Amino acid sequence: MPRAIRGVLIECEPAIKSIIVHLNSEHNDIIIEDLDESHLVVKENMVHLLKQKLEDRLKETYRPEEPLVDSE
Amino acid sequence: MPPKRKAAPAAGGASKAGRTSTMSTPGPATPRSLDSSMMSEAEEDDDLNDPDVTEAQKQREQLLGMEADEFINGWDLGSSRFQNQTKEAGLDAASAYFGKRDFSNLPLKPDHMNRPLWIDPLKGTIVMERFNPLSEQATDFLITIAEPKSRPTFLHEYALTTHSLYAAVSVGLDPKDIINTLERFLKTALPPAIRVFIEQCTHSYGKVKLVLKNNKYFVESVDADMLERLLKDPQIGPLRVHSSEVTTSYAPTMGGLVIPGTKNAAGVRQAELEKANGKPAAPGDAGNEAELYATLNEEDDDDDKTAVHSFEITDSGVETVQKRCLDMGFPILEEYDFRNDDVNANLEIDLRPNTQIRPYQEKSLSKMFGNGRAKSGIIVLPCGAGKTLVGITAACTIKKGIIVLCTSSMSVVQWRQEFLKWSNVNPDDVAIFTAESKNKFSGNTGVIVTTYSMVTNNRERSHESKKMMDFLKGREWGLMLLDEVHVVPAEVFRRVISSIKSHSKLGLTATLLREDDKISHLNFLIGPKLYEANWMELSQQGHIAKVQCAEVWCPMPTEFYDEYLRASSRMKRTLYAMNPRKFQACQYLINYHEARGDKIIVFSDELYSLKQYALKLGKVYIYGGTGQAERMQVLENFQHNPDVNTLFLSKIGDTSLDLPEATVLIQISSHFGSRRQEAQRLGRILRAKRRNDEGFNAFFYSLVSKDTQEMYYSSKRQAFLVDQGYAFKVITQLANIEKTPDLAFATAKERRELLQRTLVDNEKGGEEDVETDDLFGKPGRGKKRGGFGGGGVRRTAGTLGELSGGHDMAYIEQNKAANKTLKKKAKDAQQNAFFKKLAREKERNRK
Amino acid sequence: MSAQSYQLSDYLEKLPGTTFRKLYQQPSTAFAIFRRMLPPLAKIFVQGLLYMPAPLLLSQLDIWVKPEGKMSRDRALVILRSLHIINITPPGKDKPQEIHLTTNFKNSLRLALEGGGAHHSFGVPSTLAIDPTIDIAFLDRYARKKWEDILHYVVNSVGGEGSSGGSGAGPKASVKDLLLAGRLVERRGDTKTGIAITQAGFTFLLQEANAQVWTLLLLWLEAVDRSSANNSGLDSIDMLSFLFMLASLELGRAYDTSALTESRRNMLPSLVDFGLIYIPRDTRQYFPTRLATTLTSSASALRSVSSGFAAATADASADVTSIGATESPAKGSVIVETNYRLYAYTSSPLQIAVLALFATLTMRFPGMVTGRLTRDSIRRAISYGITADQIISYLAAHAHEQMARAAAAAGRPVLPPTVVDQIRLWQLENERMRTTAGFLFKDFDSVEEYVALSSYAEEIGVLEWKSDKKGLFFVSKYEQIRDYLKSRKSAK
Repeated sequence: MPRAIRGVLIECEPAIKSIIVHLNSEHNDIIIEDLDESHLVVKENMVHLLKQKLEDRLKETYRPEEPLVDSE
Repeated sequence: MPPKRKAAPAAGGASKAGRTSTMSTPGPATPRSLDSSMMSEAEEDDDLNDPDVTEAQKQREQLLGMEADEFINGWDLGSSRFQNQTKEAGLDAASAYFGKRDFSNLPLKPDHMNRPLWIDPLKGTIVMERFNPLSEQATDFLITIAEPKSRPTFLHEYALTTHSLYAAVSVGLDPKDIINTLERFLKTALPPAIRVFIEQCTHSYGKVKLVLKNNKYFVESVDADMLERLLKDPQIGPLRVHSSEVTTSYAPTMGGLVIPGTKNAAGVRQAELEKANGKPAAPGDAGNEAELYATLNEEDDDDDKTAVHSFEITDSGVETVQKRCLDMGFPILEEYDFRNDDVNANLEIDLRPNTQIRPYQEKSLSKMFGNGRAKSGIIVLPCGAGKTLVGITAACTIKKGIIVLCTSSMSVVQWRQEFLKWSNVNPDDVAIFTAESKNKFSGNTGVIVTTYSMVTNNRERSHESKKMMDFLKGREWGLMLLDEVHVVPAEVFRRVISSIKSHSKLGLTATLLREDDKISHLNFLIGPKLYEANWMELSQQGHIAKVQCAEVWCPMPTEFYDEYLRASSRMKRTLYAMNPRKFQACQYLINYHEARGDKIIVFSDELYSLKQYALKLGKVYIYGGTGQAERMQVLENFQHNPDVNTLFLSKIGDTSLDLPEATVLIQISSHFGSRRQEAQRLGRILRAKRRNDEGFNAFFYSLVSKDTQEMYYSSKRQAFLVDQGYAFKVITQLANIEKTPDLAFATAKERRELLQRTLVDNEKGGEEDVETDDLFGKPGRGKKRGGFGGGGVRRTAGTLGELSGGHDMAYIEQNKAANKTLKKKAKDAQQNAFFKKLAREKERNRK
Repeated sequence: MSAQSYQLSDYLEKLPGTTFRKLYQQPSTAFAIFRRMLPPLAKIFVQGLLYMPAPLLLSQLDIWVKPEGKMSRDRALVILRSLHIINITPPGKDKPQEIHLTTNFKNSLRLALEGGGAHHSFGVPSTLAIDPTIDIAFLDRYARKKWEDILHYVVNSVGGEGSSGGSGAGPKASVKDLLLAGRLVERRGDTKTGIAITQAGFTFLLQEANAQVWTLLLLWLEAVDRSSANNSGLDSIDMLSFLFMLASLELGRAYDTSALTESRRNMLPSLVDFGLIYIPRDTRQYFPTRLATTLTSSASALRSVSSGFAAATADASADVTSIGATESPAKGSVIVETNYRLYAYTSSPLQIAVLALFATLTMRFPGMVTGRLTRDSIRRAISYGITADQIISYLAAHAHEQMARAAAAAGRPVLPPTVVDQIRLWQLENERMRTTAGFLFKDFDSVEEYVALSSYAEEIGVLEWKSDKKGLFFVSKYEQIRDYLKSRKSAK
């Protein structure tokens, strides 16, 4: 009998997938199934957190906005 | 603490206390970015730990540093000193977007359309319409009184700071002129806070001057009361030379002084030098003064004859007086009345008759010699815009003993060459003091070219060096030329300046940028910024090359990126440099540009990738460990050999390397977010020989690995250039890259092998790049580093490292083969004249 | 949701023929439609047909148009037919096709042009004494204030300030409801005001003032249609006729409210809220404002939100309080530099608020504001549903003449290409991960079972992803598959 598992399918670039896999390796609590280079299924309740963590992770690749107080 | 390029101890010792405290109180002129701790280039560690420097001296240096900071902070425009009036509440619905910076209630003048400036009363930010008919004049004025912040196409921004006003006063503007001119250009009335700010700053600046006259130090002021006050000071008073009286004379004017190489020079040469002093000249006579000053002085013609008062102080008291005056809020200006110095011998030097200096070079020098004396300060010109010639022209103006300080022995050689090229100075009068050669000039005065490290490092000093140092210390120099001032730590300057006595100092640099905020100290150590050129303008006028800038995004293959996410920060840097897609992009761009007939420099801070790239692509390279002879060999070939069109350079090539053949620059790895390095590297192609060819463009590519920290660093690095008006195009895809013949790492297998090799080779940290004799290394130490994998890396037998050693060896072979091919050829081939001459001179210097 | 905001033609095209017959009973409506809704060639056809005693052979019409103009001819005919202005007889074997104007339209337009009839179709001027302070300048200020309040409400829903600031209480609750119902703004928890601008709202802001007015009026008509249990006592057809009538009135003139029907009088309060008319206290007069009288004039006469009003009030006495805004209404005001700094020559709080939607503002001088485009500011805008393309086209449409001049001289695009690219790249960052909720099917008993189920999922259109190699698939819905599986099992 086949199983049906509730989850969220994520379609993304390989780099994003790498980050998700990396995040998952901490507690192993995000990914349900690693599908291929650009697809995975994750737990529905983790999607919000995942998006947040992903954003944090990518933040280090962008220059933060300079403080507003000066025009330099 | 910041990540170090060098193997500096991470734990801060006691000697760092001073620095941390200065870091916590940044000056107002250079606001600290949030992440400056990441970016800080704390290369000065080595120098701070110099055992020859006494504890007492270090403490004194720290104290001076902190005082400079305190002083600066006290004069922040934002401080309550100036902003006592409370702002009215929001003006309308849109005010909320601006917080305190809604100044729309300032009334516009009726003819505001004809005036180019707005000013922010809170921070002194000035916005200028570039398209306004008056913008040319306004620009000349602003560059004198304010700090340029943003100079793209339509609107420029400047900041009025304590330093910029200090500089304005030092080149001879008085507060009245500044206020009136500003008022004339402003669309709104000059806000009272700004007026007070200008008055108070300028009131304290430039009122007291330190003048070396007949080899005696005089404290000079136009304000007699001020001198009285200084004399009554318990610290300064006793330093007055006994028996000397307060004397009164007339302020000098430009009168008759002609800067060589200018339009004026041709006719006037020689004439009227003797009647200069005390004789007022109409402002119009000073032909090389900007038109602006003529305008400014219109109403003040009759004020030319200003009385000045002075008293003499002891030589040993100079620094105390400087420090005390700073405490009292009257930073001292230094001036050198070289035309009346009959104690120091004159140097036979003039520009060659056919040498013409460019308008902006003239403008910058006119600030230095504005009143016929030499003022100390800093001139900022982009790389390739002829800083060296400015320095040499200054030397030809002063005509006394000259000492030139450079950052590397490579540039020492170049400076000497330039002296011989542009001036008629006797080659025997231009001596070099480096680790390799230590000779004095033959006559009783001359030019000495040396490096900062030669004169500040006392360790491992040979007998010869000691003798040479005694020679340098025992003389008085007319002019000290400080090359690349922005890279030199303040402490090093203090030591240079305190050990070598010079009447005037001229700092030269392309960017007054330091990620560690130490720039403000240069104002006190060397002098104010006298001039800063506009890069875009120089490029439009054809003085420097037009450059197309691009940032090429290179995605990381999954296996690399997975590794990247897990890696230590050191390894992360290696991985994003070794990204095979980046490698391919580099290969593609080299192919493309070589086919067009370009000469290409590829920069890599990462030594590992520098070598891997160069070897795989069969290109020549130079890094800190490359011997002097081999460097010359490689450079000569790059310049003259049509088969050698691509040169890989480590960061030692960032500055002072003059390669006008280069037209393309590719950057594969760089020093974190250093805006300065980015600007300097761009400078390598700005002097491209072909720059004035029809439609010529130089190219600057920065290759970055996507989704890594390199993206962040890259945009930070570009910030300075972007504010100069350069636009970086993002390239996400190189067309038909997959069709590149012999594309490297095209298969997944090759990429995996590359990854494995990279991981293993760098397991224990990579080799650090050290310039053998540059500022940050110790003489002699670099020599030990030599071969690949040497220096910092020690491998133990029986580990994985040994395996990698195998790879290593293979590459060393190739490496030798790569650069050796050139060597062989060179022996056979006729050597180029320039190179032969260099070799001859070097021989001679060794004797 | 469509990014396009609602246009009058869309609305009209949906109306049935009977409605048009009713609408065209009013000469003012026929005239307004003629003026506003028709392309030039269609107007020529109408003028040509208007006084023809008999239907025209369709083939004759071809003589009026050059052969290469066939496309415009066809387009004109389509429009005329969709607005029920013409009738074309169906093609038949015995009779050639004929074309003629519909009766009501023809009669009303003739009346409108000849000025005959007693329909009060063009309004009844008030005979009462008129307050001399109510002049055109006054009406312009009034209308401007009303309309800006509405626009401000849409813009400021972004936050940054609690209410619409010092300029009054903002639009009436009914107007706010309308904006919500039209999804120009939506309720959101994460803003100070509890509502946020939508993509349609941003499109609305970028429209010309005239189109904005119509967008709002049509939302109103639709709202009336929806609640047309007719308890409101309003009839959208009559309302539309009334709007067309207002458009035909003269600016600065007072009209008599008592000459209006009961249902039209009921419309007046809303029209006051929109700023289309002004009603002095205790009078039986109403004054149409420029917003009303320009309803059917050619749209290009007015510019967009920022300068639209400046243009609409350009001939009014110079507004001393906002020098920058009225200085050069026809010119663009925004400069974008290659280093992402942005400067706008404006004093208009409204334009500043629009800029604040996607830029970080830093300083404000009289007549000029400074700011910069940053990753955060653009991403914030994108989170409101504003697209990179909308921002780019706003910047391009409002580019300062200096930019246009420099671009023309250098043969380059007006906006710095690197900035345009970067805005798009910032938007792309938001689209790096696509999520679909659903179910992963795995652990099949046999390959055959996997194939059957995955093909079924594909057939019914719920399959999102599958791998034959791994024997896995992902579907967005699973109920039908479960049922299918059951029936399969029981069949066995």
